[in-house]
Amino acid sequence: MKTPDELRTYGATADDRSAIDGPDASPAGKFEPRITAFVCNWCTYTGADLAGTSRLHMATNVRIIRLPCTGRIDPLFIIKAFERGADGVIVSGCHPADCHYTSGNYHARRRFTVFRELAVFLGIDPGRLTFSWVSASEGAKWRDVVDGAVSRARELGPFEGYHGLVDRPSLTGESFATIEDLLGDGSGERS
Amino acid sequence: MSDERHADELYLTEESLTRLVDELLTAGTEVIAPAVTGSCASPAAIASAACLRPGAAPELIEYAALHDASQMALGRGLPNLSLKGFFLPQEEALVSWRRRGTGLELRGPRVDAPSRIALGVKPCDAAALEIVDKVMNWDTKDELWNGRREATTVFTLACPVEDESCFCAAVGGTPDGTRGADGLFTPVEGGYMVQATTDKGRAFIDSHLAAHAGEPAQSDSLRRQAAGFRSAARERIAGHLAIDGPAIRDWVAANFDDPLLTSLGIRCNGCGACTSVCPTCHCFDIVDEPDGVSCGTRRRCWDTCQTGRFTSHASGHNPREDQNVRFRQRINHKFAIYPLRFGEILCTGCGRCTRVCHAGQDLVEILSEIDDAARRGRPAVTADSDGGGEG
Amino acid sequence: MKELQELARTLLADGEVELVIGWEEGRRGARPAFITSPDDADRLIFDARCVHNLATYLSPRRPQVTRLGKLALVVKGCDVKAVAGLLREEQLSSDRLVLIGVRCGGVFEEPALKDPAQPTSETVAPRCYGCDNREPARVAYLLGEPQPEPPMPATTIDDRVAMLDALSPDERWQFWTDQFSKCVRCYACRQVCPLCVCEQCIADKTMPQWIETASHPRGNLAWNLIRALHLAGRCVGCGECERFCPVDIPLSLLNRKVQQIVEERFDYVVSDDPERPAPIGDYRPDDQEEFIK
Repeated sequence: MKTPDELRTYGATADDRSAIDGPDASPAGKFEPRITAFVCNWCTYTGADLAGTSRLHMATNVRIIRLPCTGRIDPLFIIKAFERGADGVIVSGCHPADCHYTSGNYHARRRFTVFRELAVFLGIDPGRLTFSWVSASEGAKWRDVVDGAVSRARELGPFEGYHGLVDRPSLTGESFATIEDLLGDGSGERS
Repeated sequence: MSDERHADELYLTEESLTRLVDELLTAGTEVIAPAVTGSCASPAAIASAACLRPGAAPELIEYAALHDASQMALGRGLPNLSLKGFFLPQEEALVSWRRRGTGLELRGPRVDAPSRIALGVKPCDAAALEIVDKVMNWDTKDELWNGRREATTVFTLACPVEDESCFCAAVGGTPDGTRGADGLFTPVEGGYMVQATTDKGRAFIDSHLAAHAGEPAQSDSLRRQAAGFRSAARERIAGHLAIDGPAIRDWVAANFDDPLLTSLGIRCNGCGACTSVCPTCHCFDIVDEPDGVSCGTRRRCWDTCQTGRFTSHASGHNPREDQNVRFRQRINHKFAIYPLRFGEILCTGCGRCTRVCHAGQDLVEILSEIDDAARRGRPAVTADSDGGGEG
Repeated sequence: MKELQELARTLLADGEVELVIGWEEGRRGARPAFITSPDDADRLIFDARCVHNLATYLSPRRPQVTRLGKLALVVKGCDVKAVAGLLREEQLSSDRLVLIGVRCGGVFEEPALKDPAQPTSETVAPRCYGCDNREPARVAYLLGEPQPEPPMPATTIDDRVAMLDALSPDERWQFWTDQFSKCVRCYACRQVCPLCVCEQCIADKTMPQWIETASHPRGNLAWNLIRALHLAGRCVGCGECERFCPVDIPLSLLNRKVQQIVEERFDYVVSDDPERPAPIGDYRPDDQEEFIK
């Protein structure tokens, strides 16, 4: 319905991304994943702080968002991160039994169990979703979590599938594939 | 009514139509036509005539911008969604913004839409365009709507099938109408008889279609066939529903709190599927969506009067507090408010709202009841209005 | 059917209830009926076309129904699970409700104008296969003859979920984003859901606006994902969301997947027992967590 040269939304291009990313964005042409980390205030944020004060070297692709508790991390945060251009998301908080609020992480664990499996069912690669328990004393573990998430996202490439969604025309002449089509044993054809 | 027109009808075979469409597509012209877009999971509910073809699996028919001519599925029933999405998209960007230093950079949409052609449009869907034109040019001129209207040449197709929820004749339409369109196709043996009714339609025929049209030996018999097809379609639909539009308009306007009008929504789920599929429902909401830091897009999206949020005030108060009064609003807007302001019923009798409603809200039945009440002047409480009184 | 009409008439005439919600014959097939007078009780029907989950009318979001007073609701076994969900979440008080259970051997996919015979494997609603509640328990009255097991459809919902599971992530992504791009955001799925009872839905919140309201595939994905997620451990699988969807998005597959996850991970199956707590909002210290490193 929209012609390609009609209005294009901001924030979707590599150009716009580097403008937003600021000085540490990579030179044009080389993909640098953007990772959003949602962490709890009491354990992981302090652990990340420790990693910093210990001068540990780690990937610089992670933007940390600090929340009181993993129990406060709504799956919508993850969706919003992908909507706004993240290529991967980290969720991290206190180890089981260590929650500052007793049971916040237990509740979060159930929620993310369902969210993660449902996201995978929708076709989001599990490599883009990293869940971890990192305590205040585990600076080195935080470094490993960050490096792991960045290298997985680097391997998977930019999450174009998600970032391009908004400019996908919603009514086209294309047929919608059925499951049978996708499996290749249906009669319908797909262009 | 259409029988005056048949003298200048042209004959276009199925094959010529395919060639014409391929030629247009090759030239980069957008061609919109009913197409099969998938299998239909609920054939009984959605435009049954569109889905069902004897011996074939039920299919979903939609108006679509074609990739190639073979996708066209003319001659089937009503597409699932109306044509309105091609003029008032489900969502469209109005402006994008980005902060640049201390300034603001804005990008707007193109209002000069490239020209395109819509074929095989149902007369009820085309008529809706002309009816909605009035509100789109009432106080503010809607440039996006007008631009698309201007750029689109629409040919209707005389209806080959209808079902028990079609009632175009009751609201002033006809199954072979060209209201809101520039010309008409009528199915005949081996192809279509084509006629233009506006200058835009004639220009399209002269520049594109005439080259493919033939003048077969039996053209008189084909013209008679076409005229016969059209009058048969009109006869079939005439028996479906008969209402007195002006009487309904005046009665609904005068009887706002009548128990009949304030008990219509008891089984309604307030889902708004009816307004989504309606060719004339045109209400939209405008939202600002951030796309990132300091940048975003203002979009307008279809809205529906059937949800509570539609009238929710900032204070928290909601003047339309339950589904009875929300449904009354739908009836009131279509059959009283719009007719009183613009002289048009905001309904073309396509029947989609009835087919799409799985809770059994039935506009045909509701209109019959209101028509009864309007003709009687004053309603008795009918058997079906047992769903409680206050609105 | 006579039995049902008699009972409804008696309940209304005796003032036991002020409203009976059941099914009636509409112009386009069976549809919900709202009976307030004993004289109208003979409009009630029950057969395999009575597809609708009427528990949705118990929602506190429907003042036009609740203000009519104490009510009797005709329920199939599957519908009782939704009633139990509302009781579990304290959206309903059981003293304002009389349940009339009907034995059911499966319903059609659609309440259309068909001969109300027993459904066949072509016409049966796929969700009916493997029904564990053909004879509703926890009801005040139980009507009808014992019914046979519903037939097995050609492709069950579980088959279809398994087909999707077998695809690559990219293929699944293509499938679902295609499906979601059809969404017109009418929210029919939410409005008809017996368990979607929020006074203000997350999709309607504007300060902040978490879910984009525009019906582009990005906003549609967020909405459809969150809808399924918010029903985790609550969805009773009645399939009304899919049936009401005007653009045929296969929501049952999403809901079934969530049911499978909840069953596998938390050993929880949605039942008609209002006392059993729902899995989200509850936890066990030893829940599986192999995905958390």
